[in-house]
Amino acid sequence: MLPVVEIDKKKCSTPFECKKCLQICPQAVFAVAPTKVERFKETDPENYEVQAVFRNKCVVCMDCVKTCPTAALRVIVGGYD
Amino acid sequence: MCELCEKYGEGNPWYLNPMNYARPLYRKIEKDKEKEPMILEELRGPINIIKPLIDLMDNPEAFKKAKEQFSKHQERMVGQVVSLEDAKKMVEIAQPITKIDCICRRTFRATLEDGVQRPRSCLGLGIGMFRWEEWPERYKGGVEFLSTEEAKKHLEHWHKRGMVITIMAFGTPYIGGICLCDYPDCIAIRMRLDYNVIPFLLKGHQVAKIDYEECIGCGSCAQRCQFGAVKMEVTTNKSNIDLTRCFGCGVCVYTCPQDAIRLIDRKRFSTLKEEW
Repeated sequence: MLPVVEIDKKKCSTPFECKKCLQICPQAVFAVAPTKVERFKETDPENYEVQAVFRNKCVVCMDCVKTCPTAALRVIVGGYD
Repeated sequence: MCELCEKYGEGNPWYLNPMNYARPLYRKIEKDKEKEPMILEELRGPINIIKPLIDLMDNPEAFKKAKEQFSKHQERMVGQVVSLEDAKKMVEIAQPITKIDCICRRTFRATLEDGVQRPRSCLGLGIGMFRWEEWPERYKGGVEFLSTEEAKKHLEHWHKRGMVITIMAFGTPYIGGICLCDYPDCIAIRMRLDYNVIPFLLKGHQVAKIDYEECIGCGSCAQRCQFGAVKMEVTTNKSNIDLTRCFGCGVCVYTCPQDAIRLIDRKRFSTLKEEW
């Protein structure tokens, strides 16, 4: 079972500016991307979203959970966190 | 035999054929197709390519199937490692050349490369670059047009710092850019090494070979290899390059203080010439 990283989107509102989890993860599991891209328009910061992509590489070190300033992250392995 | 070279290069390396830089300037816009979300999905960056695949990893059967599907995508997108020499030949062919930020680095480490954190490191090629303003989200912070000489210096600078030079074709065989890549934030290297998805990153036309007479066993090449092909062999106290794992990027060549490593054409090894 791959670890599941739950991200509370309400708490994680400006992921690109914060980027703490993206840069601390030793396995580079996370990615941040705009939820939509429009022609002739830059995406607003609130329309960015963090996702845990490379979950199979996650070693459950919990660095991301510890570093998150808004406590938006939970790492769940086999149903337990 | 290199399939892409047979198809698009008349037997020579396909990326040195000027035809493959000549994507038509004007294309007929099919009204319905323009609204298809696929274009926008691609502009969201590499996240859309990889996430659905990894989400299937709990189910080995489905994962295998999805991977096979991926391997058929060569017509849409293909990448390959090239040596610094070949990349320099490419910037002599391609016009215009622009410095753009790396979408992988932005997606996986959230760096903007806005000139403060890191300068723009990738090169965008071709007439599409004139239309960068259409997609401000992709070309955040703008693009910078370079002369051929400037582009060569740019490639040298990053390559000597340890970046792998790769080329990307969007709508094969049309070459869209020269990337300067670094594991783990480069999606192409990562897909190939961690998930064995091949067409996103083919091996280069060369392999790196060590001259044992010259090697002093300093190990600087082993530190740089991104493909796990080089290690310091304790027994001989010299570096060892596994040619079957080597992608031929040449990063080790430029870090060797003894000039002991050379890039040799893959074709010269009968067992490696089919290895891409």
